[in-house]
Amino acid sequence: MRSTPTTKRLSLSEWFKTITFYEILVGMKATLSHLINYRPVTLQYPHEKRTLPDNYRGMLALLRYDDGTEKCVGCDLCEAACPSRVIRVVSAEVPGEPTKRYSKEYYMDMTRCLFCGMCVDACPVDALGMTREFEWAVYDKRQLHLNKQQLLAIGDRSFPVREKRLELQHPNVAFFNVAFSHVPPKPN
Amino acid sequence: MVTEFGLRLAISLTQIGAVMCIVVITVLILTLAERKVLGWMQDRMGPMEVGPYGILQPFADAIKLFFKEDIVPAGANKFIFTMAPILCLIPTFIGFAVIPWGPNWTFEINGIVVKPFVISDINIGILYILAFASLAAYGIILGGWASNSKYSLLGGLRSAAQVISYELNVGLSIVGVLILAGSLSLVKITDAQTGWFWNWHIFALPAPQIFAFVVYVISVVAETNRVPFDLPEAESELVAGFFTEYSGLRFAFFFLAEYANMVLVSCVASALFLGGWNAPYPGTLMELVGLSSWSWIESTMWFAIKTYSLLFLFFWLRATLPRLRYDQLMRFGWKVLLPIALANIVVTAIAVFIYQRI
Repeated sequence: MRSTPTTKRLSLSEWFKTITFYEILVGMKATLSHLINYRPVTLQYPHEKRTLPDNYRGMLALLRYDDGTEKCVGCDLCEAACPSRVIRVVSAEVPGEPTKRYSKEYYMDMTRCLFCGMCVDACPVDALGMTREFEWAVYDKRQLHLNKQQLLAIGDRSFPVREKRLELQHPNVAFFNVAFSHVPPKPN
Repeated sequence: MVTEFGLRLAISLTQIGAVMCIVVITVLILTLAERKVLGWMQDRMGPMEVGPYGILQPFADAIKLFFKEDIVPAGANKFIFTMAPILCLIPTFIGFAVIPWGPNWTFEINGIVVKPFVISDINIGILYILAFASLAAYGIILGGWASNSKYSLLGGLRSAAQVISYELNVGLSIVGVLILAGSLSLVKITDAQTGWFWNWHIFALPAPQIFAFVVYVISVVAETNRVPFDLPEAESELVAGFFTEYSGLRFAFFFLAEYANMVLVSCVASALFLGGWNAPYPGTLMELVGLSSWSWIESTMWFAIKTYSLLFLFFWLRATLPRLRYDQLMRFGWKVLLPIALANIVVTAIAVFIYQRI
């Protein structure tokens, strides 16, 4: 409530605008112009989808080389890089090849993932990839607790073109985690 | 005698059924049209999923409301809680009884005079509508009170104050038209506006009712609790106002009552101010081409066009204006609209008096 009445004298044009609801008519003209020049910005989502940007960061996936072996070497760097503790890696030696390691178990709790892509950056062998999948709504959130097989399956369906093995890509590429035939297997 | 009574009853029931069907279909169209028009005005699409371009959305809504759980809140006065939506709905539908939908024709069946385009032409038609429109406020207030919820009660109280304040303006803005037409019957008022469109009461000499029309439109927007006067159901303040606690079919009744009330006030406005079923030119085009028995189609179409234009105005205002503050609402109603309506009565009365003396 105003304590002092602040009535100022209206000029004739202001008075005319008041009694003809000029401001309201301006607003109504604006809404009507939108009705006439009807250009909706809506995308009918399930029926039409927007084109994703090239660097879209969607669902995470584990990748394979072109001969079908997993890229992951079980180094745990993704687990260390992850800010939300999404990833859990259980690393192990490849049975029978003592110089070579792999991830025996690999879990991702996608309910926590914030899709920052730091695990992909951290991976030394490019074993992780971010797909363009984003429709991962599920009825049970335990379905978002993914294991290695599921992650590899996502990678298989999202990245059909696979890289060659590192040591076969170029003679100057540094490689590691390769089995050497002259190293005798560990007695187990 | 029994057969005559039976015939009258059958004719009346047929007319009532037809009018009810038209009103309910109009309400169905309105629920979709409102969402579509609002969407288009806001660069959206509105409902698009049910049926092509969402045209079956009203049926989906109706089915959903029909099968929803009917909840009575704890501590509610169950009887009044149940009665309130009906009390809100029935007065609105009753008002359609005196609306003239088409030309004032009569025909006889076995000596009974039937007016096909008005259910009952009573000589106090507009008073009857105003009286029953006031009863609908009881439904809102009692619904708000019986819900045993503070939001409902606040919404109901706001509605009581608002509906009563603005009904006064509706009643007073109509008086000018009544002076010009010299009758309270909507049929006679509409008949007084035949001829060119400058015979409509909004433009009619000796006292154009343009100010009364503006006051009427603003007041009925307030009376039907529509934006920008939707304080009784202000979403951002009171969850949903007086029908916060209502669900299912009872909520549907309130919803139906609100939209039917919109249709009713638009019909009354077009009958009182915009010439009702009269075309803007004298006679009808159908008569000119020699189809005078089909000219009622043209007349009812003009009535529909006028009514739907006013209903579009409701949506247009809703898309444009924000909600008023409560003190602004009351100040506008009592300090602006009421003096204009009163001054209009005085000016109209003097003008008509002088006009009759000349």
